Amino acid sequence: MTQYVRDIVDAVVSALKGLRITSKHLTKKPVTLQYPDERWVLPERFKGFIINDTWRCDACMRCAKVCPVDCISIETVGKGRDRFMYRYAIDYNKCIWCGYCTTECPTDACQHSLDYDHALYKRQRLVYEFADPKDPVPCHKETRLEMGYYVPNAEEEMAKLVAKKAAAAQPADPPAAAPDEGKGE
Amino acid sequence: MSDTTLTNGWEYQDKPREMQSELLEINMGPQHPATHGVLRLLIKTDGEIVHTVTPYLGYLHRCAEKIAEGCDWRQWMVYTDRFDYLAPMNMNFGYAVAVENMLDVTVPERAEYIRVICAELQRIASHLIAIGTFGLDMGAWTPLLYCFREREEILNIFERLSGGRMLYNYFDIGGVRFDTYDGFEDEVLHMVNVMEQKLDEYNTLLSYNKIFIERLADVAVIDTATCYEYGCTGPVLRGSGTPFDCRKDDPYSIYDRFEFDVPYGMGEQGSVGDCWDRYMVRVRECFESCRIIRQAVADLPGGDIMSPDLKKLVKVPQGSLYTRTESSKGEIGFHIIADGGSKPFRNKVRSPSYSNLHVIEKVGPGMMVSDLVATIGSLDIVLGEIDR
Amino acid sequence: MQVMTDLFASIFGDSMSPTALLIAGGLTMALIMSLVMALCAIVFTWMERKVAGFMQSRYGPMRVGGFHGVLQPVADMLKILGKEDIIPDEADKGLFILAPFVIFIGSLMAWAAIPFAPGFIASDLDLGLFYIFAVSSAAPAGILMAGWASNNKWALYGAARGAAQMVSYEIPLALAAIPVVMVTGTLNMNAIVEAQGGGIWNWFIFHDPFLFIAFVIYFIASIAEVNRGPFDMPETESELVAGYHIEYTGMRFAFFFLAEYANLFLVSCIATAVFLGGWQPVAGPVFVPGLVFVFKAVLLVFMQMLIRWTLPRLRVDQLMHTCWKVMVPLALLCVLGSGIWMMVSGELL
Repeated sequence: MTQYVRDIVDAVVSALKGLRITSKHLTKKPVTLQYPDERWVLPERFKGFIINDTWRCDACMRCAKVCPVDCISIETVGKGRDRFMYRYAIDYNKCIWCGYCTTECPTDACQHSLDYDHALYKRQRLVYEFADPKDPVPCHKETRLEMGYYVPNAEEEMAKLVAKKAAAAQPADPPAAAPDEGKGE
Repeated sequence: MSDTTLTNGWEYQDKPREMQSELLEINMGPQHPATHGVLRLLIKTDGEIVHTVTPYLGYLHRCAEKIAEGCDWRQWMVYTDRFDYLAPMNMNFGYAVAVENMLDVTVPERAEYIRVICAELQRIASHLIAIGTFGLDMGAWTPLLYCFREREEILNIFERLSGGRMLYNYFDIGGVRFDTYDGFEDEVLHMVNVMEQKLDEYNTLLSYNKIFIERLADVAVIDTATCYEYGCTGPVLRGSGTPFDCRKDDPYSIYDRFEFDVPYGMGEQGSVGDCWDRYMVRVRECFESCRIIRQAVADLPGGDIMSPDLKKLVKVPQGSLYTRTESSKGEIGFHIIADGGSKPFRNKVRSPSYSNLHVIEKVGPGMMVSDLVATIGSLDIVLGEIDR
Repeated sequence: MQVMTDLFASIFGDSMSPTALLIAGGLTMALIMSLVMALCAIVFTWMERKVAGFMQSRYGPMRVGGFHGVLQPVADMLKILGKEDIIPDEADKGLFILAPFVIFIGSLMAWAAIPFAPGFIASDLDLGLFYIFAVSSAAPAGILMAGWASNNKWALYGAARGAAQMVSYEIPLALAAIPVVMVTGTLNMNAIVEAQGGGIWNWFIFHDPFLFIAFVIYFIASIAEVNRGPFDMPETESELVAGYHIEYTGMRFAFFFLAEYANLFLVSCIATAVFLGGWQPVAGPVFVPGLVFVFKAVLLVFMQMLIRWTLPRLRVDQLMHTCWKVMVPLALLCVLGSGIWMMVSGELL
């Protein structure tokens, strides 16, 4: 009998205690952000959609190799000094925003933006093309220097290139061993 | 219909010949708000009393272990994120420790401390979901929202740390990928202080609510022998009274430097090993995690965050090793078989929820359908982990 | 209805026969009651979502209608009207279509005897209270029909639980109202309200401690009657995925919803009329009786909402245990206690 009464009293008391907590919340300000009018301020490291800056990219293919889901497609044409990249595409249907490509990129071409709301109607439109086939990006360092694309330590490299060109323009030595153009990277 | 004595105290009697009634076969189907994921339970009931429960799995199978055979060692870290998507840091931790045990590499001290802080914060976040959704299954809508509000703070810390809110890909083999940001320690300590107050609030609102206790006391009593039989670990095992915790009994990383207790079920409201005990173990573990975080933040050293003597392309020497770590759901084990190459030969994951779930086949018969929902909630399963 | 009949009489005077006046008055009252019912569904869905939101540290509806989403229920209604009406193949078509109406009518009929203001009562029955309880018993029949006709095992579960629950909780509900009948000596709703005139301490809730306990029992039983709050086993979203109205879509589902909120307001109105003084003000002369009545009823609805969003739900057998082993004995005790109190204090002569 005492257990019966105690159960009823327990039930009422614990219910009232719970009600007190929830009623107190009625007067407090809610924590909701009213999206899309108010937006969360994203931190710098936020892994948003990845943008490839083709001015900096030299098709080293590291991002494509390190991607766990193979969502980056890079297509180049030519070899050596004439190697040009005409397609750089990230397939956002597959991308998992792990950030490996941005960590691997040696020239900081691949960067996370702070975008996250890219809802689209067609699945094909989620394949983002960054390189323009009509304006292919050179891959070899010297071609990049000549065409004004980003090269790390640009001034030194430019100086070296100028020196090399000056040396090659000397009529004395016959061009016996052709400069090694096999390496494209 | 045999004279099965069922565990919830309901004696199932033989029906007289004239009243041959059938068992109702009902599908708590893959789409159900209470099964915590895409889980199908085939329940045979006699009115409200469950006679058999059969779980059907595989709805979330994504072949992660097969994919491992084509990935690098480091690349597979993103897949571990997606096993227990409510506690990815713990999964990352398990895999990182497993591979590091096979390699001969020392993780820098700073990275170890950051790992522990992240793992414990993640444990709190995961338990918050467990508590909240358990309340939701029982009909208390509000604690869920409160738990998520607190979890938001933890996710904000993780977002500033790693860039992601749910799937972080923060750990790496040999350390962590990014260093902490300015103000990390202050935010973490603030979070821990707030957390302890809020946990007290949850206790008043939910844990000690008489209706909640009545729903859970003496329901689905799992004794230690059953736990051993089915391989249950984590809060399920601790709720049954056995204080076994990988962090204490089989320490990995730097857990042996911290002082914390392992809460276990004592049958406060009902029997040892009932749903309430398992639930309360989770609440108490949050308090213990707060203790560990405080100690870790106080001792956080400077230094590297990545082991310097590890090449970019990791090659694990031939061998096989099973390493277990304590995730929020239980013991997550990685059995790694390497053949000396740059890709794993076989990564087998021993997920805690898989073993925990199957207890329901033993404990289910005899309880009511509502109790079944309570049991699944108390086991805290995540289908991503079960199906991989 | 008297008010309406007088209104018609004052407009049309001798050109209408007394019967015609009665019919006109009656029909107008019925129309007003239906409108009130629809209105309360609209207002209470909004109120529920806002109250739930603020209790849970969030806002609730905010966008539709500018200020705090006041037109959200309108948007919901329009959405529901646009939904496809699906009847499962193997369902029992007649019962399936009839079920929402049975529940709705059970609720609507009871509104005929609620005293909103002096004279503003649809039907001034001498057995008003008894009529209300009798007529609202149609709901369990509708629930069983809905659950059975859906041809869905989960719906059947919900229906069986719901019918058992509603039928059981009608007992403490009625028993808790009996002390009030004992005090006033009549079942007439108008008379019950009029007997509580003269300030807040004359309200029946403060008449004696047993009546206070009876009010608490009535309140809890009324939560169970409307399948809400800690007693919403029949329609638990986390177990039965909407229980007995799982297979209903579109406007049919809206009927269930409408009936639930109308029921909610109904039991609150009864509690107000019977225990809280109806349209009698806290002090002073009778002033805007309709608004006073509605205000008190809405307060009770608000309390029911607070309880729903705080407490976990009871399991079915615990529900039944609470009804038969806790509430019925307590209610009987209240009847006994009230009677003894009245005998001792000299009222019962």
